[in-house]
Amino acid sequence: MGKYLLRRILQVIPVVLGTTLLVYALVFALPGDPVKAMFGDKPVNEAVAAQIRAEYNLDKPFIVQYLLFLRNALTLDFGNTFAGQPVIDEIARAFPVTIKLALMAFVFEAIFGVVFGIISGFKKGKWYDTVILIVSLLLISVPTFVTGFLGQYLLGVKWSILPVTAGNNPGFIDLLLPAMVLGSVSMAYIIRLTRAEISSNIAEDYVRTARAKGMSNRSVMLRHVLRNSLIPVVTYLGQDIAALMGGAMISETIFNIHGVGWLTYQSILKGEGNLVVSIVTLLMLIFVVCNLIVDMLYAVLDPRIRYA
Amino acid sequence: MWADAWRSLRKNPLFIISGILIIFIVVVALFPGLFTKQDPNYCTLDNSLGDPTAQHPFGFDFQGCDVYTRVVYGTRTSLMVGLASTILVVIIGTLIGSVAGFFGGWVDAVLSRLNDIFLALPILLGAIVVLQMFKTNGSIWKIVLVIALFGWVSTARIARGAVMEAKNLEFNTASTALGSTPVRNLFRHILPNSMAPIIVIGTTSLASYIVLEATLSFLGVGLPSSTVSWGGDISNAQTSLMTNPMVLFYPSAALAITVLSFIMLGDAVKDALDPKSRTA
Amino acid sequence: MTKNINENLVAMQRAHGPLLEVKDLAIDFTTDDKRAVHAVRSASFSVYPGQWVAIVGESGSGKSTSAMAVLGLLPGTGHVVGGSIKLDGQELTGLKQKDFDKLRGSRMGLVPQDPMSNLNPVWRIGTQVQESLKANGMDVAHEKRSALAKALAGAEVEVRGKDDETFLGSDKLPALMDAAKTALQEAGVSGEAYDQALAEFERDWVPGSETRWRVADSLVKAGLDEDKAWDIAKRYVTGSTMDDRIAGLLAEAGLPDAATRARQYPHEFSGGMRQRALIAIGLACRPDLLIADEPTSALDVTVQKKILDHLHMLTDELGTAVLFITHDLGLAAERAQHIVVMYKGQVVESGPSLEVLQHPQHPYTKRLVAAAPSLASQRIISAKERGQDAASLMEHHVVGEEKLEKSENIITVEHLTREFKLPRKKEMFKAVDDVSFSVKRGTTLAIVGESGSGKSTVANMVLKLLEPTSGKALYEGKDIASFKGKELLDFRRHVQPVFQNPYGSLDPMYSIFRSIEEPLRIHGIGDKTSRRKRVRELLDMVEMPESVMGRYPNELSGGQRQRIAIARAMALDPDVIVCDEAVSALDVLVQDQVLRLLNDLQAERGLSYLFITHDLAVVRQIADEVVVMQHGKLVEHATTDEVFDHPKMQYTRDLLDAIPGGKLQLGLD
Repeated sequence: MGKYLLRRILQVIPVVLGTTLLVYALVFALPGDPVKAMFGDKPVNEAVAAQIRAEYNLDKPFIVQYLLFLRNALTLDFGNTFAGQPVIDEIARAFPVTIKLALMAFVFEAIFGVVFGIISGFKKGKWYDTVILIVSLLLISVPTFVTGFLGQYLLGVKWSILPVTAGNNPGFIDLLLPAMVLGSVSMAYIIRLTRAEISSNIAEDYVRTARAKGMSNRSVMLRHVLRNSLIPVVTYLGQDIAALMGGAMISETIFNIHGVGWLTYQSILKGEGNLVVSIVTLLMLIFVVCNLIVDMLYAVLDPRIRYA
Repeated sequence: MWADAWRSLRKNPLFIISGILIIFIVVVALFPGLFTKQDPNYCTLDNSLGDPTAQHPFGFDFQGCDVYTRVVYGTRTSLMVGLASTILVVIIGTLIGSVAGFFGGWVDAVLSRLNDIFLALPILLGAIVVLQMFKTNGSIWKIVLVIALFGWVSTARIARGAVMEAKNLEFNTASTALGSTPVRNLFRHILPNSMAPIIVIGTTSLASYIVLEATLSFLGVGLPSSTVSWGGDISNAQTSLMTNPMVLFYPSAALAITVLSFIMLGDAVKDALDPKSRTA
Repeated sequence: MTKNINENLVAMQRAHGPLLEVKDLAIDFTTDDKRAVHAVRSASFSVYPGQWVAIVGESGSGKSTSAMAVLGLLPGTGHVVGGSIKLDGQELTGLKQKDFDKLRGSRMGLVPQDPMSNLNPVWRIGTQVQESLKANGMDVAHEKRSALAKALAGAEVEVRGKDDETFLGSDKLPALMDAAKTALQEAGVSGEAYDQALAEFERDWVPGSETRWRVADSLVKAGLDEDKAWDIAKRYVTGSTMDDRIAGLLAEAGLPDAATRARQYPHEFSGGMRQRALIAIGLACRPDLLIADEPTSALDVTVQKKILDHLHMLTDELGTAVLFITHDLGLAAERAQHIVVMYKGQVVESGPSLEVLQHPQHPYTKRLVAAAPSLASQRIISAKERGQDAASLMEHHVVGEEKLEKSENIITVEHLTREFKLPRKKEMFKAVDDVSFSVKRGTTLAIVGESGSGKSTVANMVLKLLEPTSGKALYEGKDIASFKGKELLDFRRHVQPVFQNPYGSLDPMYSIFRSIEEPLRIHGIGDKTSRRKRVRELLDMVEMPESVMGRYPNELSGGQRQRIAIARAMALDPDVIVCDEAVSALDVLVQDQVLRLLNDLQAERGLSYLFITHDLAVVRQIADEVVVMQHGKLVEHATTDEVFDHPKMQYTRDLLDAIPGGKLQLGLD
């Protein structure tokens, strides 16, 4: 196991370097001058601009910029925003909010996705299976921002059950609706995945063998169908944690939550390259770590790939 | 195999419904003039948030544009972005994936790492960053290119797997023993036999690219406001959400129906090509 | 075996009445468009207690479907639409699944066909055995009984044999051994008798399987007096733990090192070991009836024989009746006392095994008996023993010794070796190790071996699909590995393959016409019209109608596809055809037809065959010379007659022994 883990970590290093380089290149090497963007509509003061360029290493060749960024990033020094705030502070403010939001969405999609998926998978053809299928298809088809508006309008404005926006320091209730919106598409996918897995596993030979042993339908379903069906579902869930954090942008924008997604969007609009690169780098690290955990989890759940 | 798939498709209600819807959507996209006589860009503030009338069944938005007409004309934008991105993504993805799967070894290792790198970057995030950089003039083709830049990853993965599977099938060995060359095998046997999963992911991707375009337009980095698009209209309707939610509802519904049609088509095609993984 | 049934047993079976009685069974499947497909029609057969009954038929004959109906495990849309199934007088048709649960495991067990897919990959083997015990309340009852036995350790226990539920525990085994040794010494047993007795104890006293009564019995046999033996047995055989019992069951099924193996997962097992685990599961709760659905068809012949021998011993000992489903008539006749022949969903013939073999009544059975390769070779052997002319019985007329001597070698293999790198292992694995032989022009050489013997690797090197690590394969004296460009194309034209899997070797997206035309196109032979004409000729040659040209492989049966593959191989008028298990996946009758076709083509065109197979029985029908391979090495190389009449090596004899029906005493007709 240790060796396997080590090999996976070694494999991850080029990916981490590659992705940061890609992001860095996208943000800094492309045409468009972030310094000019700082001035907005005001005329550019060349002396100030040059000073800023020097401060942010923008006057150096691209690859040097990247290496400097990497070196600083290792010490969690991501530089300052144009407003002079340390980037790390901005991030430290935004991340807890998004982690809270993502975890709530995760719990929501995991519980409802798996439960509805199981009901649907085991009771195939019943009317509630059809209803669950149609609802999950709709959730996948309707873009998140529309779901968000709809939820905001119905639950927030029309029936006034939940807060319309979350604001600066959101609590559990404030984040409930945004979390549901954020988790809804993944929930629909989990329902479909669970259902498909169950219906394909039910046809497996070992399920018939288990029945031939005289096991009751209940224990066959639990021990052989469900146990095997949940392997890919758990894998999907694991990878989705990172995706939820990265995908929070829409939810956070609609509900005005000052989390990572909101911060990223704002900094992209303002051309805060440093901030964008830093956030994306962190998100990507979370993604990579989640994937590693999923790999480990997978090895635990499925003995076939243990130590492979 | 295709004949079998077609036979099972024809009987699948999912396919029939989605097929009819898609044909209808395509007709609307090609000939919007058949469905409305109005100009989508003729807007007067006199009509702002006006109620539906016989000539304007969906009413007016905040700018005083006819919502129905804008929904009709928005179809072409969404469909074009979806189709063009999918075609580009399928070409790039299949090329990279099949090269990786066919040659294996270090070629595969390099391409797979490249794949991992792009996979770690969420497509929405990447698209926003790039679009923000090129903000100068927005056009459909810019969005298509950006989607293709980040979208090829999943198709390449699928293509790689399919090619690797088809490569090991016995008929390739048989062909080689008959005197065929590896490259001839790739084009004559391996690629045709790898198409099924690529077509399936292509159909579902099409749906997700339509959503992505709408999302980008909603975030204000997508199409310019001069282009009639559902995403842009939904974004604009935000302001009148509290007072007149129906303005938001119509373009959203059009978007959802289009996406739903392609997802259902994808499900049906998947059932037909791979009877083992039936979803319904 | 059949001769050994003693008459008492038969009388007892009759007196008891049938354990399983199936009458006029009818089973339908419903298609997608709600039409009923009749899978089984008016099938009747019975199984008496302790009897082995075989249902024989080809794929799609309804044999497995009938057996699954007995278990209440019909797949998908299958359902019983008529007739009755009675187990010990109890009607099973129309029973609820809940009631079936009570019967399955404890009254009827299943040993399924495919060992690879019938064990759940995520649970340990031991756990999957335990499920069987648990589902039938055997774990509770057994623990309780163990406790009871401990309390009653002093009292007389009258249960005997396998009914005794007081098993030997692994914790008590060393103490028991010591006590036995001391007692034997005290009783004055010494020398060879002492060693022999101890060896027997070591072998027989398996924790979790050996019971108190049997321990006492073996002590008595070793020379102790009854009281002393029972005293020891009572003191040390006081019940086993669940883990011991599981290991004991696996050991009974012939799994070595069962206690360790029980903690492993299915993917760590070979096919044979998995099948043994499945046998342990099927028999765990001592059912009266065991349904064995082609339990060994996925395994190598020698493994198949070992497992069936073991299963036979075990069921005899436990008195379990077996309903044995198989496609192999020879195997059925060898193993079962009674044979039921099914064809297209109906029982066409049934009766005592020898009776059916010697005097088949139904035309289908007659064809089956005539075609079965195992029986055919048997027939030839016994004809020779009687000094009769065996040549007339053979489809393949073996060329004479002189001709073999004279013919020039068309394919020669010299010290051929191929190594593979195994994942995560340093040393190379030798798949083929210093193999030399030659194929003479116009003759057939068969390479026989089990999976992993390297026979297919040899074929792939002869076909230049793999390069040898060392040694050479020569075609007409030229090194095959050196062929390049035009020379290679020329070589490909003369040496053609037919592969095992008729489903895989034809591209599913190519029409039959395109498939057969492909080699002509590759080699740029003829124009459109002449190629079309050639394809027609080829179809005619393999006895297929022209009308299949526009169809696709999935619309044809396995045998038809293999004919198409042969037609494709013949398209370029080759000299040599390499057949890699070309008939292994086919039903017996189809296999027979394809072999005849190959024989005819050889006679007409002077083709040379390199014939790779795991089935010695088929060799007799096609080959002039035989090469036997094991673990990559050439074991024996001789003419077919030599190999069958005077096998030199033990491994060859094992293979011959493993041909099903080999021990049958067939009357000649």
